Amino acid sequence: MIEKRRPVLTYVVLSIFLLLVITPFLWMILGSIKTQGELLRVPPTWWPEEPTLDNFRRLFERPFARYFTNSTVVAVVVTAGNLLMSSMFGYALAHLRFPGKRILFATVLACLMIPGLVTFIPQYVLVVNMGLANTIPALILPFLVQPFSVFLMRQFFLGIPRELQEAGRLDGVGEIAIFFRIYMPLAVPAFATLGILTFLGSWNNFLWPLVVSSSESTYTLPVALALISTGQNETDYGLLLAGATLIVAPILVVFLFFQRHFIQGIAATGIK
Amino acid sequence: MTRSPHITRRALVGLGAAGTLGVLTACGRDESGGGPAEPAEPIAEGPATGSLTVWAMGAEGEKLPELLASFEEANPDVSIEVTPVPWDSAHDKFTSAIAAGTAPDVAQVGSTWMAEFVSLDALEPTPESIATDDYFAGALEGVTVEDTVYGVPWYVETRVVYYRTDLAEQAGITEPPTDWDGLVALAQAYQEQAGATWGISLQPGGQGSWQTVLPLMWSNGGQVVDEAGAQFTFESAQNEEALAYYQSYFTDGIANPAPAEGVTEQDFVSGDVPMFISGPWMMSAVEAVGGEGFADKYGVFVMPAAETSSSFLGGANLGVFQGTQNRDAAWKLVQHLSMPEVQVEWFGLSTDLPSLQQAWEDESVSSNEKFEVFRTQLDTALAPPVVATWEQVASKFDAQIEEVCKNDLAPAEALATTQSEAQGIGTGV
Repeated sequence: MIEKRRPVLTYVVLSIFLLLVITPFLWMILGSIKTQGELLRVPPTWWPEEPTLDNFRRLFERPFARYFTNSTVVAVVVTAGNLLMSSMFGYALAHLRFPGKRILFATVLACLMIPGLVTFIPQYVLVVNMGLANTIPALILPFLVQPFSVFLMRQFFLGIPRELQEAGRLDGVGEIAIFFRIYMPLAVPAFATLGILTFLGSWNNFLWPLVVSSSESTYTLPVALALISTGQNETDYGLLLAGATLIVAPILVVFLFFQRHFIQGIAATGIK
Repeated sequence: MTRSPHITRRALVGLGAAGTLGVLTACGRDESGGGPAEPAEPIAEGPATGSLTVWAMGAEGEKLPELLASFEEANPDVSIEVTPVPWDSAHDKFTSAIAAGTAPDVAQVGSTWMAEFVSLDALEPTPESIATDDYFAGALEGVTVEDTVYGVPWYVETRVVYYRTDLAEQAGITEPPTDWDGLVALAQAYQEQAGATWGISLQPGGQGSWQTVLPLMWSNGGQVVDEAGAQFTFESAQNEEALAYYQSYFTDGIANPAPAEGVTEQDFVSGDVPMFISGPWMMSAVEAVGGEGFADKYGVFVMPAAETSSSFLGGANLGVFQGTQNRDAAWKLVQHLSMPEVQVEWFGLSTDLPSLQQAWEDESVSSNEKFEVFRTQLDTALAPPVVATWEQVASKFDAQIEEVCKNDLAPAEALATTQSEAQGIGTGV
């Protein structure tokens, strides 16, 4: 009988957790079609009494497409950079022999351990001195190769046997081809994990774009949303929730697209 | 000081100020800030030319370009780029920019940041050609650091008491109270005779509660910083009495010691809590919730007095940043925004209250009788202490106010703790 009862219990527990996770999410979506008055009402309402698209309409009165493009360009380039370069770096650290490898790896680890806020101002000064303040490249360059990505990819490649490399060499495959044709195809699950984490990190990044951008033309979505929804003394909650809903949508699409690989990737990298 | 491409000492000092970013916890002290500032150079004659960057926050940033059209018309050779900055995070952006030497030419500066920015050597003293005598005294004090004026007040706001006139009548009170006891009496009358759950909505500590408590101390003749702005003076009989008065609202069951967030408007409209203390923006907020005709059901009155009627003066200032490449045009812009007619125009665009007294004579400002109360309050309202470390001290103070309101901590003890914590932080001088 235990075999029969267990799935029920599992589903009950899972459902409770699902409810906990999904409630704020639904609250955001439902809130995005409520009026400010209804959002602030006590006791709160769950279903909107007078659903309205007014929040979205006011959102699109702004140059939303501009912010959206900025966010997308930054997130896509940052993600692509990490996938390509961090995996090359990680592979080198895992399977190639060269002098200073241990020191290099220790440096990567050290970078990983220093909180980003400590290097925030020096990094900003650096970007300004490079003449990049208030440009899109300034939003991309510092994040193009991240220590975490390098570490993740190194750990993943360590799990792929070195024998493949040796076999490749014996068959006369060049070093670059060994990476691109043998190891990279095997790393797809890790790419899915890394891709979604990097994309998410870049998409949601707030403080850096806030400080580096000095005109609306380089603002990303989170910065723009903070700008238009919060005032000196009051917050426009409807607008905030509508904006948050729109910002989350692309993330959901990316996740649904990579879902299968993503879960495999978590499993594969998690075991190591 | 010219802009250097390398990290200057100023930039390093700025690093300290970015402590809010969790970068470093050094204090942003500048040894050169102690002496009197050098007098500002005059502004050149003639129309403004060249390009200017202007940072302004939130709604102000978005509406400012419209206001600048007339300035650009009068000065065809000037080009102005306005950057709207989110309010929430503006302080981070400013301190980073000051550290990196990329501050704008002109910017809207939050009223509690003045002393901090001056201590970072970030702001220019105001040239004498810009008259400052027509500003509200409290507002002018807010831009004055160690006897030198930096920038000008741009717009102001102050806090008054909002009350339900219809329910007050029901409770047998037709005249708004003018003293501390009268406010308590009205609040109790609401509870006893008008079915209110709580007599008044007050913040039982937490972020920003000092903005209500400090005016009560001022009202009672107390101060938290000495005249020179060098020493904290939290411990005094006047301050203790004021804090005890505030505490009594919670211990006597007149104010809710555990209110929900963001329900002030709702409770006001429903009559559950028919009184609160806040700024001019709440007029449109309660009227939006209350619907048509609600404007006739409530009124505002100036803060009740012990010795004086005192309130918190907020708003924002305009500052010109050190290292601007276009100083003359920057000050000309500030001068333009400080003309009464431009302030009236700005009031029309933004509903921000003018900082110049003359601008209040315009009919569009003076026609609303509730604004008259704000106008009266502005005469006596005071800006928060112009101390570089004020934001840090205030957050310690807020925490103690919470202990007093929620956990029955003795006011004297709370003030002693605040005083020693404030001394530990220092005034940044």
